[in-house]
Amino acid sequence: MNLGFVVGVFGVLILSHAAYSTIQYRGLLKIMEEEFSRPPMNVILELIIGLALCMWAALTFPGKFLSIHPDSDENRAVSLPDSSEFMIFNHRGRLFPPEIDMKF
Amino acid sequence: MVTKTEETQLNQLEIQVENGGGGAWEYLSLVRKLKLRRSENVLKHGSSILNDPRKRSALGPDEWTLYEQVAIAAMDCQCVDVAQKCIKVLQKNFPGSKRVGRLEGLLLESKGLWGEAEEAYSSLLEDNPLDQAIHKRRVAISKALGKPSVAIELLNKYLELFMADHDAWRELAELYLSLQMYKQAAFCYEELILSQPIVPLYHLAYADVLYTIGGIENLISARKYYAATIDLTGGKNTRALLGICLCASAIAQLSKGRNKEDKDATAAPELNFLAAAAVEKEYRQKAPAKVQLISSVLRSLKI
Repeated sequence: MNLGFVVGVFGVLILSHAAYSTIQYRGLLKIMEEEFSRPPMNVILELIIGLALCMWAALTFPGKFLSIHPDSDENRAVSLPDSSEFMIFNHRGRLFPPEIDMKF
Repeated sequence: MVTKTEETQLNQLEIQVENGGGGAWEYLSLVRKLKLRRSENVLKHGSSILNDPRKRSALGPDEWTLYEQVAIAAMDCQCVDVAQKCIKVLQKNFPGSKRVGRLEGLLLESKGLWGEAEEAYSSLLEDNPLDQAIHKRRVAISKALGKPSVAIELLNKYLELFMADHDAWRELAELYLSLQMYKQAAFCYEELILSQPIVPLYHLAYADVLYTIGGIENLISARKYYAATIDLTGGKNTRALLGICLCASAIAQLSKGRNKEDKDATAAPELNFLAAAAVEKEYRQKAPAKVQLISSVLRSLKI
């Protein structure tokens, strides 16, 4: 797989490791009977790194983003469909039938 | 509504198929999806697929859709025997089907037998009085016979039942325009804009009709709708840009006799200037040989 996928997996692993560390830290605080205000600094650093890696992977892995503006250069309306339900057959083109042979 | 990417894709596929590269089936599917009328190409490439039994069986259940598409294209190109063969194959596999019955009615229409076609459609309508496609074909018969007033009456009755049918409203607007009943055509376009405000081409058509009717209020409204079209297409619609320039000159001419405050309220000098600049830029990019022509036209419009 390409780099985006590997980085994404890395980011998820780092985030889950941070979650596990926080749970262990809370268990430690329960033993020492102190209040849990926020996780330790290294866990916060780990969280920020995991966030950055996951965001980068989420933006690069899916590939090219499509435009959603209705007036962008790709999405703008160029023509309406020809009204094929009302089409009539007695036009001038019926005097020039193309040469088609059918074998079925 | 055909978008720019779909149009470029269609042109690429068309060139590829015409020059003998593969991709005929993708081209035919794209034409079917966008509901375009490319009858000669569809007939040529569709029949080349159908003539080859290997390619035909490779399609699987889509084979019957291809038969239908080729049959309609053959009728449009007046190759009646090709259409007859396709319909016979479909009849053998789907006996008593309403869709095949509609194709038979279409075949009678293309042969010019309007009476028999009308009878076939009435008998199909007896079994199924709410079939939208059959009602529309009856309107098409009156249109082909050169009776637009009868067609308008039938279409109005159809629209009382099926008010949400955009193609029918468009068709009604075009019929009114062919009879020069501009106010009724404007009403039809208003309905279309109400139901689908994102499609810029309805705004453009409405602005054209308002410009044709004339009068200072209609011209001001027309300018608003041209501006809406430019907004919705990202400024790439040359017709709307030219429409603003023409509206500006027409408004200036009509408001010559008025006093100064009215004239200042109705004129929109920045809009006209920007539209003229955008038109010149487009011409420089796409048709540089005609830049002189368009500059002189725009200059004469300002005066």
